Amino acid sequence: MSAENALMRQDGPRSLVVAGKREKTAALVELCSVRLGETLFGIPITYILEIVGGTRPQAVPLAPEFVGGLVHYRGDVLTTVSLRQLLGMPAQEGKQDILVLESANGCFGLLVDSVGEVLTVSAAEHEPNPSVLDERRRELFAGAYKLKECLLIMLDPERLDPVRLGAVAA
Amino acid sequence: MDELTREFLIESQEGLDRMERCLTDLEERPQDTELLGEIFRSVHTIKGTTGFLGFKRLEKLAHAGENLLGLLRDGKLQANQGIITGLLQLMDGLRAILRVIEQAGDEGGGEDGALIERLNELQQVDAVAVPVAMSGAMAVKEAEAPMVHRAAPPVAIAKPVVEVAAASPVAREEAAPAADAPKTRTTAASDSTLRVDVVLLNRMMNLVGELVLTRNQILQATSADPNLTLLSRRLDMVTADLRESVMRARMQPVSNVFSKFPRIIRDLSQALHRKVRLVMEGQETELDKSLLEAIKDPLTHAVRNSLDHGIEPPEVRVAAGKDAEGVLKLRAYQESSHVIIEVSDDGAGIHVEKVRNKAIERGLITAERAAHLGERELLQLIFLPGFSTAEAVTNVSGRGVGMDVVRTNVEKIGGKVELDSRPGKGTTLRLRIPLTLAIIPALIVRSLDQSFALPQGALSELVNIPPDKVATAIEWMDGAPLYRLRGKLLPLVFLDRMLSPAGGSKTREAKDHFIAVLDADGRRFGLVVDGLADPEEIVVKPLSSVLKQVGLYTGATVLGSGDLALILDPGSIASRAGVSMRAEEERGSRQGEEEEVLSMSTEFLLVEAAGRRAAVPLGEVLRIERIPLSRIEYFGYRPVLNFEGQLLPIEDSGGVIAAAEGDLEAQLTVVVCREGQRHVGIAVSHVLDVAKGGDLFEAGTQQAANGVTLLKEQVTGIVELRQVPPLPVTGVAQSMETWSSVPEGVA
Repeated sequence: MSAENALMRQDGPRSLVVAGKREKTAALVELCSVRLGETLFGIPITYILEIVGGTRPQAVPLAPEFVGGLVHYRGDVLTTVSLRQLLGMPAQEGKQDILVLESANGCFGLLVDSVGEVLTVSAAEHEPNPSVLDERRRELFAGAYKLKECLLIMLDPERLDPVRLGAVAA
Repeated sequence: MDELTREFLIESQEGLDRMERCLTDLEERPQDTELLGEIFRSVHTIKGTTGFLGFKRLEKLAHAGENLLGLLRDGKLQANQGIITGLLQLMDGLRAILRVIEQAGDEGGGEDGALIERLNELQQVDAVAVPVAMSGAMAVKEAEAPMVHRAAPPVAIAKPVVEVAAASPVAREEAAPAADAPKTRTTAASDSTLRVDVVLLNRMMNLVGELVLTRNQILQATSADPNLTLLSRRLDMVTADLRESVMRARMQPVSNVFSKFPRIIRDLSQALHRKVRLVMEGQETELDKSLLEAIKDPLTHAVRNSLDHGIEPPEVRVAAGKDAEGVLKLRAYQESSHVIIEVSDDGAGIHVEKVRNKAIERGLITAERAAHLGERELLQLIFLPGFSTAEAVTNVSGRGVGMDVVRTNVEKIGGKVELDSRPGKGTTLRLRIPLTLAIIPALIVRSLDQSFALPQGALSELVNIPPDKVATAIEWMDGAPLYRLRGKLLPLVFLDRMLSPAGGSKTREAKDHFIAVLDADGRRFGLVVDGLADPEEIVVKPLSSVLKQVGLYTGATVLGSGDLALILDPGSIASRAGVSMRAEEERGSRQGEEEEVLSMSTEFLLVEAAGRRAAVPLGEVLRIERIPLSRIEYFGYRPVLNFEGQLLPIEDSGGVIAAAEGDLEAQLTVVVCREGQRHVGIAVSHVLDVAKGGDLFEAGTQQAANGVTLLKEQVTGIVELRQVPPLPVTGVAQSMETWSSVPEGVA
């Protein structure tokens, strides 16, 4: 499976974007939409191992701010990153959904308010991060897709990896 | 590296391991043809396969060895010290080449000429005495050419010619059956055993751990349903059985580690001129493979120590009325969930006085402190880093690393080290090793409305303080919470406060408090938690590196309830809270903990009295006087100072006054302190500094006379003002009484 993933990752969003710009005959990108408050975010589905709904992560005292706690996932104890805390939004009470993402350092969970549907969008609709974004967000976001109703902010799963976030924070 | 070569490497290593065991046995039974046959086969197999794989260097060396072994096996040569040494060297040589092959894929360009020469020489050691010596020597030269394999056996026969006429044909015939022998043996072994990758075993272990968790959850969920109870009980049994089996699969007999000791002891006893007999017991005792790896070094250290410091040279032993040959005993046995490995010798034992002096000499402990230590405590000093009683540094031991390494390594895997020694009789070192690492017994505690797991290994007892007793039972000493555990002060750490510095609960008096008394690397403290749950066998799950960096958790686990619990690390908690080691261990634990220690400390006046450093609690110091020595007068035998009509007793345990006696010009520094309601003076040579010191309040040192503190990175004894005897003056005596009743009242 991992070999297949690796292959798919080569065709990840960024390379698609380039392709899309070159030839306007839009390549299609599949992404999973997640909601955080009013904002819509997207994650390339190639990174997603599983979506676990309605979990209540176990808090880890003294852990870095962005850590949303621990969850039990298929026999492993998974560290989760709280997207809310990462973006400096107030914490949400109650259950949250978790996207189990694969990264170079193993798996981790991404805590979001709710997971939406899988969208197929045209790479032509993608625009890079605007320059007005603050540096921290520019780090985490990978541009946005202009959907009909709203903007969908792309997240870069590689940069959400807790190990990497921890290294940045330190 | 191709499969064939890998297979060959593994097989050869095993063969050489077998050879090593046989060689040491051979020393005792040089005539044992079975042993010789076994050794011969090991080398022969290597030679045979190498030729096939094209490892010329290995083949050449193995061939030279085979020639020598052939002679031994056929009884044409008698195994002696020299030959066995040669064979051991051969084994080392073969191992070295195998290592090179393993790393580089080919055998490298090393030269084994010297070793081959030596092996060839050994073939005709006895022959020197025989007239045919010359022909032997000439033939040896021939044997060096790689292509004359067949020419070698006749060489060996050079000597036997005298005894056995038909030696030559016999040797040739032998070659054929010998070639078949290894083949039949491997088949026999492969019928019943299988090589399994350790990675696969680890994965199985993980999965079984998972199953144990699921079982725990099912047991809890089904306890109410009578239909499911039977099923879940069966599941419980099967899981337990399966877990045991998988654990067994990872187990290896301790003989895997023990087997290298005959060689080590042989080499060491020759180097140190000791006569040592090794007795091994319980070699079939099994231990998890990773644990076995982990105890290899500590055990080697312990054995080296026994030989170097324990067992005396033969002449000393005889003079002491002992057998010239010392006995070193390695014993392994299982005791409930632990495997005990004992290294005992019948040597000189450890002289506590020597230990005491050495510890003082090395600056590991102050003389005052040492004077108060009991025999057992003194023995523990040898586990301090930097301790060594060896008179001279040898290449065997004495560099001051050793026992502390033994202890750290064993404690790292959750084990314990115990030491018994009787002067003149011998020393026993006991390593207590847990059976496995992946599943540990733990106590589940509650704090901050969360569950945490405390490893049972560190837990010594539990204390419950009912809500109405909390206010009185937990005492505070300048911000440091303490609890009197059987009359000794135990520093307390509130888990909720440590984990949540901002929002420690304010209503703590109103509820039950539970103190888990923990012993972490010799540091004793009480962890205060809100509640206790059942002990559970937990499966340790690793944490991501981000959370490991927090430092307080060693892992996480899934409880029977399905909840996650973080596994607490008592050692890190102690460090973070600034609980330091029991005084005698203080030095060892200092690195990296200094800030924490300081944050909970009191200030001391650092003084020097006749070359020794001592600390006076700064709070008790009234003033410092510099007076001429001549002002000191004596009241009875006691030095006193007439101070504005008041008598000040001078404490001179440092011998400052005595040292300056006779020198009329001498000046004396007196630190005047408050002690209860009286004042006492302490005679010192110099006042050095004011510094923050480490804690006073660990268990075992409630009596401040035993108190030491960490001042300027040195363990410093605290001057005990209470111990200054009162002057025989009525008024003072009365105030003394008032004073001495104070601690009683507090208690």
